[in-house]
Amino acid sequence: MDDPSLRPDSVIRRGPDLSAELDHLVQSDLVHRGLYTDQGLFDLEMERVFGGTWCYLGHESEIAEPGSFVRRRLGRRQILLVRTGEGELRGLLNRCTHRGTTLVGEDRGCAKRFVCPYHGWSFALDGRILGLPLSASYDKLYERPFDLGQIEVASYRGFVFGTLAADPMPLEGWLGAAKPWLDEHIDRHPGGAIRVVPTSIKFEFRGNWKLSWDNAADGLHATFAHRSYNLIGKEAKTETVLARNPATTTMVSRTLGHGHCVVDQRPGIPGGPWSTMRPLPTRDALEASLEERGLHRPETLDLATGNMINLSLFPNLILVGNQLMVVEPLAVDRTRLTFYLALADHAPDEVNALRLRVDEDFISFGTPDDLEMFERVQEGLAVVEEEWIDISRGDNAGDQIDANGRVVGDIASEAPIRGYLQAWKKLMAKPIPTKVRRSRIEAAKFARQGKRASA
Amino acid sequence: MSGASAPANGLEAVRALYDGLVADKRFVETAPLHTDFARGEEVAALLRAECRLLDARRFDDWLSFWEDDALFWVPLDPEAHPGEDQSLLLDDRRRLGERVWRMNDKTAWGIWPPPKITRVLGGVETWTAPGADHEVLVASSLIIHYVRREHAWQTAGHQIHRLRNSGRGWRLCRKILVLPLIQTGVPNLGWLL
Repeated sequence: MDDPSLRPDSVIRRGPDLSAELDHLVQSDLVHRGLYTDQGLFDLEMERVFGGTWCYLGHESEIAEPGSFVRRRLGRRQILLVRTGEGELRGLLNRCTHRGTTLVGEDRGCAKRFVCPYHGWSFALDGRILGLPLSASYDKLYERPFDLGQIEVASYRGFVFGTLAADPMPLEGWLGAAKPWLDEHIDRHPGGAIRVVPTSIKFEFRGNWKLSWDNAADGLHATFAHRSYNLIGKEAKTETVLARNPATTTMVSRTLGHGHCVVDQRPGIPGGPWSTMRPLPTRDALEASLEERGLHRPETLDLATGNMINLSLFPNLILVGNQLMVVEPLAVDRTRLTFYLALADHAPDEVNALRLRVDEDFISFGTPDDLEMFERVQEGLAVVEEEWIDISRGDNAGDQIDANGRVVGDIASEAPIRGYLQAWKKLMAKPIPTKVRRSRIEAAKFARQGKRASA
Repeated sequence: MSGASAPANGLEAVRALYDGLVADKRFVETAPLHTDFARGEEVAALLRAECRLLDARRFDDWLSFWEDDALFWVPLDPEAHPGEDQSLLLDDRRRLGERVWRMNDKTAWGIWPPPKITRVLGGVETWTAPGADHEVLVASSLIIHYVRREHAWQTAGHQIHRLRNSGRGWRLCRKILVLPLIQTGVPNLGWLL
């Protein structure tokens, strides 16, 4: 068996070594337009970035019950994130091992087993094959690797990530310097309990996925792209969190390694998060209710809005407001942003009732202008002759670099862009060893042949 | 439900509002054939006018048709509950006013220059709202065609209106817009009313 791809448990390195080409396309202070427009690079991203490293898949609160599952995407693969009867988490490839049919068509649900609608093959929640019709028509059925393919999944305090990398670094190591910031997001919820609401908002834009990534840590755009949002705030005599003078604000951005970054807006809003909120539907009634119950305290109301710490976990999760925003590339010039709302189960009910209305505010009056900017950048990048985009802002002009090479800059610094592009380049440069996991590969003949060979 | 006495506690009042929205939606989904055709025609005129005013960007005129206890809800899922699930939007009169203000803000980059919208209204049915003699529930279907900056987009859905006649003709109290395409991913909807 010379072709390793014939072995279902093989570790395979796919695709070319692009080190030299990427050194050209991603320079320290410039990035080539091709990163946003090139189909070949996009195809490779779908394997190496979305598959070759940890990507956010979902939150454990979405699959709390045994048998519950959600259907997610990891690049072009559909993943069933499942809670087994024993309470384990599994990331199953939504692909029947018979003909490749997607097993499940629903976005979420609860199941005892997954049955393929095409030929009736059935699989347990941990991916083991349970049965197939006319099994006698296979010679040595037990030797065939028909258990479902799986990815590696790992959870950090409820946030579930998955990868096909054969030997991924431990999740906590990958989170690294971003971990305390994620902890901050979790710990502000009483008891550390976050519950993600099932219904999500899904927006699509005609642009490359990295445009939303560039934007997440871009503190400068808030003043200009969101001028309308800030004007609406002014009409209501409220200084929105985005209405700042970029030249004087004390907000900071930080790179956190592995492409992660954070924008900490707290230093710029001494009145606390709730002071940045305008009147909202139901706000008066809910504040009155808190008042009546003796719970009308600044820290309780602050909990109703975001913590003003925008955390980006490369490549696909951005925590902003009370939303978990997931970036899903659909094509080189088409992206879906899915917004999952987080509730604080142990907070007063009024807090969660307010959260339902708070995040609609920016979605209504801010997000449309972001989407417009992404599409207009994509349009502008069609100019082949203008090959380069400058990403030098802040470098040698305000950025401070610590002993670990992490950068702290003001909110106009493009250090977060430079930071994630270096992580992107590292992932994209060389083939990443990947592997499809299965429940019982050891029982299949492929594994036994391997053992014989090594004996 | 409007007409009932308001619960004292603010949280309960908010929950009652949300339950009322869901009840309106459930009512029209399970209602019998409507038979009061004369009033149905009267009410359909207001819905047609709403489409015409919105398409013509006469937003202030449209806003003037709303009662003070206005609620405009766009759920993300036909089965969603506004007090338990996220929504695309759930506006009161004040936030509707902000939405209208933004329609004419030339720095609202995502909606300026403004899209050209054509709303096609169909299937209007009307029933007296349970427990409220001066209010009606109206079911209709809607096609929305959108053109902006070289791109066209269209979607369809169902509307549920609650209208009130308190002596000044029919006015809007509640509107629920259920657009199934929202579940699969939609472009910027900052223009949606």
